[in-house]
Amino acid sequence: MKTITALIQREYLEHKGAFLYAPAVILGLLTLVLLTATGIDRPRLPTGIAVNSGKVVEVAFLAVAALWFVYLLAALFFYFADAFNADRRNNAMLFWKSMPVSDFTVLGAKLLAGLTIFPALILVAVLINAVLLVVFALFTAWQLPGMVPPDLLTVLGAGGQVGLFAIVSMLLALLWYAPFFAWVGMLSTLVGRWSIPLAFLIPGMIGLFEKLTFGAGDFDRGYFLTWIGERLHFGLDRELFADEFLTPTRFEAVPAVARLLTVVDWTQFFGGLAVAMLLVYAASEYRRRFIAA
Amino acid sequence: MMNDLAQTSSAPIISARGLRKRFGKSEILHGLYFDIPPGRIYGLVGHNGAGKTTTLNAILGLTSYEGTLRVLGEDPYARRASLMENVAFISDVASLPRFLRVRELFALLSNIHPKFSPQKARDFLAGTDVRMEARIKNLSKGMIAQLHLAVVMAIDAKLLVLDEPTLGLDITYRKRFYRRLLEDYMTEERTLLITTHQVDEIEFMLSDIMFIREGDLILHMQMETVSTKFSQVLVDPANLDAAMALRPIFSETRFGQTVCVYDGVDRAQLEPLGTVSTPTLSDLFVALMERPTANPGAR
Repeated sequence: MKTITALIQREYLEHKGAFLYAPAVILGLLTLVLLTATGIDRPRLPTGIAVNSGKVVEVAFLAVAALWFVYLLAALFFYFADAFNADRRNNAMLFWKSMPVSDFTVLGAKLLAGLTIFPALILVAVLINAVLLVVFALFTAWQLPGMVPPDLLTVLGAGGQVGLFAIVSMLLALLWYAPFFAWVGMLSTLVGRWSIPLAFLIPGMIGLFEKLTFGAGDFDRGYFLTWIGERLHFGLDRELFADEFLTPTRFEAVPAVARLLTVVDWTQFFGGLAVAMLLVYAASEYRRRFIAA
Repeated sequence: MMNDLAQTSSAPIISARGLRKRFGKSEILHGLYFDIPPGRIYGLVGHNGAGKTTTLNAILGLTSYEGTLRVLGEDPYARRASLMENVAFISDVASLPRFLRVRELFALLSNIHPKFSPQKARDFLAGTDVRMEARIKNLSKGMIAQLHLAVVMAIDAKLLVLDEPTLGLDITYRKRFYRRLLEDYMTEERTLLITTHQVDEIEFMLSDIMFIREGDLILHMQMETVSTKFSQVLVDPANLDAAMALRPIFSETRFGQTVCVYDGVDRAQLEPLGTVSTPTLSDLFVALMERPTANPGAR
């Protein structure tokens, strides 16, 4: 466990640019934008806005979490496209191979880092971003007497409910997408940064081959691409959002999480995790057998 | 193959039996047989492409092979990770992770390698220009070499393998590197296996030597035996015919003087012919590499 923790820490040190510095810059820019927004064209700003409604706060927090989750998915895609090949690219392969750690452990730690420390950093960014929004609302209300800011109880209540839902759904979604990350990682072990286009090109070619060879079948895109498309779709669909968030009643995380758990295809979920482990194992065997330096 | 391995009685640190390696249709190692006992300092010398690094890679579990190879009693290819608890190696001094600071490197190694001592590593770095807060990518090549050596010397390993550890370093760093290795690291329990092209620089520290040529081991011998078995004569011009009659394994004319290297010829026979000495490793290397029949016993 000590070794795994150290290897995850190594991933953090090597890739903190995308998960610590870049979010910090984004938050810095956002702060700047919000500060600027409070200082310009004040006379034309509408008055009498009430943002004290829990629903407004919920939706605002949810939007923040969703945007950062999209950032996380993109950053993780590029992380896996880089990290699995980083030792070779940095000419550090021999150093890591001189350590009493198997290639599977090294690559497994990379996968774990992508599912633990980096999402945790983004969650911190979500939290800071939410605080920024609240501060912005308070500051704006202070400048515009007609505006009613949210009270602390509303903020904490909405933040807690949305936060709990965001954490659970983010964790489940990351595990759901783990085979795709492992796929990119395995390709990266084989072909380095070519993994980025190949991650899409190979499934596309398989789908095209299927369609040209066997026809479309029952689906326009063919079985393979239809399955990939469905597999890329996590349970967080529009219907769930509409039912849980776009209603007059306050959002409650527990029933929403319970509903999310019912819509997740658990066979695909655990099957995907097994596939992710197999892909990491295949990558580690390739690294063990064919990458000596 | 010339060897004098009968003297070894303790369990070997490395044991190779018919070690072969193929890349496609090309066979790089042609079936090596050797044992390396503990507590020795071995030099593995050969031309570029002779198979040195392939041999070391096999020993370190970095590449597959045919035949039998045991390092500390284990199959290195199957058990590399566990083997690395007792084996340290430097194959390329530029291979340290460049994104880390020295302090971070030591902290990581403390948790990854059970036999790494950060205190020892810091002690080894004392007196150098390497600072704990320095980023590795900002260190000079010589400083990185010092850091890497400090790292491996701070690992309580039974076998240390160095593959061209001083490549690209200037003479000052090279000499300091080997001196520290010898003075601060080597003990009777530890074995050192080293390859380098600058063979004269490590000759003073070697206990045994192995020459490899085109995938065959052509010499495997203790250094004491080398000095008794091989002789070099700076032949007086008047004795040239007599010198050649004793069938030197190598001869060349340098600045008008002929130098002959002999294998197994009694020194009493050679002394009348000129100035007799023990050939340096580089002279012996040149002699054996150019000798057509250098490899009579190779499999």
